[in-house]
Amino acid sequence: MSDITAATGMNQPRPTVRKARRLANRLSPYAFVGPAIIVLFIALIIPLGYMIYGSMLDWTASQSIGEADFIGLKNYTDLWNDPRFMKSVSVTLRFAFIVVVVELLIGVGLALLLDRDIKGMTFLRTMFILPMMIAPVVVGLMWRFMYHPTDGTFNRLLEKMDLPTVDWLGQHALMSVIIADIWQWTPFIFILALAALQSLPRSALEAARIDGATAWQQIIYIKLPLMMPVLIVTALLRLIDAFKVLEVILVLTNGGPGQETQILSHRINETMTEVRHLGEAAAMANYLLILLMALTLGMLAFNNWQEKRAARIRAAAEEDV
Amino acid sequence: MLKTITYASFGAALMATTAFANPYADYEGTTLIVNFPAHPHYDAVMQILPEFTAQTGIEVEVDQLPYLAMRERQTLELGQDEGEYDLIAYVVFSKADYVYADQLENLAKYFMNPRLANPSYDADDLIDGYVYNIGFAGGERGYLEGKTGSLFGIPYGSETSVLGYRKDIFEKHGLEVPETYEEMLELACQIPELEPGMGGLASRAASGHHAAHAFLLHLNPMGGAIFDENWEPVMNSAEGVAAAEALKQIVDCGPEGAVNFGFGEALGAFLNGDTAMYLDTTVVAGQINDPERSQVVDKVGWALHPMGSERASQTGGFGIGIPANAENKEAAFLLMQWLTSKEGDKLVALAGGNPSRFSTHADVDVNAAFPHMATFGEALQYADPDWRPIIPTWGRVNADLGTTLSEVLTQDLDIQEALDGVAERARATMDEAGYYTWQ
Repeated sequence: MSDITAATGMNQPRPTVRKARRLANRLSPYAFVGPAIIVLFIALIIPLGYMIYGSMLDWTASQSIGEADFIGLKNYTDLWNDPRFMKSVSVTLRFAFIVVVVELLIGVGLALLLDRDIKGMTFLRTMFILPMMIAPVVVGLMWRFMYHPTDGTFNRLLEKMDLPTVDWLGQHALMSVIIADIWQWTPFIFILALAALQSLPRSALEAARIDGATAWQQIIYIKLPLMMPVLIVTALLRLIDAFKVLEVILVLTNGGPGQETQILSHRINETMTEVRHLGEAAAMANYLLILLMALTLGMLAFNNWQEKRAARIRAAAEEDV
Repeated sequence: MLKTITYASFGAALMATTAFANPYADYEGTTLIVNFPAHPHYDAVMQILPEFTAQTGIEVEVDQLPYLAMRERQTLELGQDEGEYDLIAYVVFSKADYVYADQLENLAKYFMNPRLANPSYDADDLIDGYVYNIGFAGGERGYLEGKTGSLFGIPYGSETSVLGYRKDIFEKHGLEVPETYEEMLELACQIPELEPGMGGLASRAASGHHAAHAFLLHLNPMGGAIFDENWEPVMNSAEGVAAAEALKQIVDCGPEGAVNFGFGEALGAFLNGDTAMYLDTTVVAGQINDPERSQVVDKVGWALHPMGSERASQTGGFGIGIPANAENKEAAFLLMQWLTSKEGDKLVALAGGNPSRFSTHADVDVNAAFPHMATFGEALQYADPDWRPIIPTWGRVNADLGTTLSEVLTQDLDIQEALDGVAERARATMDEAGYYTWQ
């Protein structure tokens, strides 16, 4: 035994080597994360810093960034006092909230309806997600043709039914853009909601059924609460996307009539390409970023609060048992 | 034998002389990269470029882009130390931005170089209004003709405005071709009554650039302007209000959905036979008689842009210039000179492009192929180089004007109030840009 101990003692590494190993052990996570941090720095931090710096310049498209004058927060204060910019913010918020809410309702509704064994389900699912696969410019063109006042599908249909025609892209431009967006992006929510539904623990549903829960009760008390984390993330993704829609609006209405459909990304594009003021466009982009971050943090905080609440309820229920 | 030697040496001498006299010899084999818009005129240019290469030995590679995308691309390219393009076509309002940022070559040194400048070029034959509007900078008001100005580009694919009308409809109802705004506006609303389902006049009206463009078409003939001589905004004057009222009347009596028409839709409505009149650029003439695109072939007559308190038609379109960061500037100048020469201008006109010379408009062959050319030539006398201010701040004023006018057309805003708002914002923009520094 003592021989073995002696042998083991002999084989133990010297303190410096041990230290080096410990250090290597401690550093190894950083080494693994390192490449990701470098990519993040190059692809995110540098452009973001560039955009923040650019937003403080009186910078036109014909100047290089070095030639532009530093003007501090003037672009931000000018925008804050610009009613046209504020109108764009309001259009963006209205557009984003309406499309996300309606898409969630329809998407989750469809998922609940189709979460069962039906013949030809694969085909149906493919059909449902087809709009999502179409390029936004094509979606814009398609809907533009369908909304055409005389030759468009909708007005022709209304005429055939002896109903008055609708000035889709004139008097109801925002609604028309919203309809096109709902058509394209509801499938995204549908497909994620369906995946969430199918991964729900069957035991909970079975227990509810045995306890005599109706279909509605199962949806309200079991399915939706369990799906909530997925739905929150899905809504967040859609919200972020809805704030950045550009191509469809560019093709459908080009922000008009007036400013009716000019969401922030369209105004940023116009400021860059027509007004050619890159500093102001950068400041607008930063406002958009701040708005999105605030919404994202808000939704994540809500999710967090909900999870904690659920955990509290669960703990209370377990104590009761 | 002696005879043979004499012929041979004469031939050799002739060849040597010919070689020496060929101004393109030093540039043979050069490949020029040029940036042109996707536009009917430049589609015609594509047809004549092989002829240039055959004559000069200079190859031309064309990067053809939609014109707004082209402007974005140029903004990026012209800002580099070494650019990709040797020659660019620029849309007229880019002149202010590019010249101001020192991104276009001053053409004086090329026209002063005896090895490059063709003595038979005849610059006087170039249409004055177009030259000053598109090529000239540094003169009166910074963008017009004047003693302090200089040439940075040459008009190529430039346009003015004319009135197209349906001869068959006018004959059917015994209507007179309108010569004044009053007559045109009256007809614009009379036609939908005479021909149910047909709009009076096709006009652009979509929010932004299109609505502003349509307003400008009426502003000058009404005697109005965007700025007065002291750069004070005057688009909200009585003439400005009259121009906006004219636009509203035209749109209200136009085809269904006219309020959202861009250039393509307005032209499409006329080509489809949905309207009896079209008031806009001359560039559309080639498409009117193309049976693949038009349902009104041989049914369209052309007249001068009707007169308001004065006669004034649009100046717009494109010019060509050499970027300051181009690699092959001299060869690019030779291409530019060839394209805008009498020969090049006639060739492009025969291929369906827009000529930039008086002589081409009067040319017998061109007139035989395109009978409307005579009217277009007459319209050029009234092409107003000060049709819109070509200054760096125009982009902002134009965007605001276009959005506000779209609101006037769709939301029934009070015209005077709306234009007062544009004028107030335009003044702030001009003030910030330093236009009132010397007042």
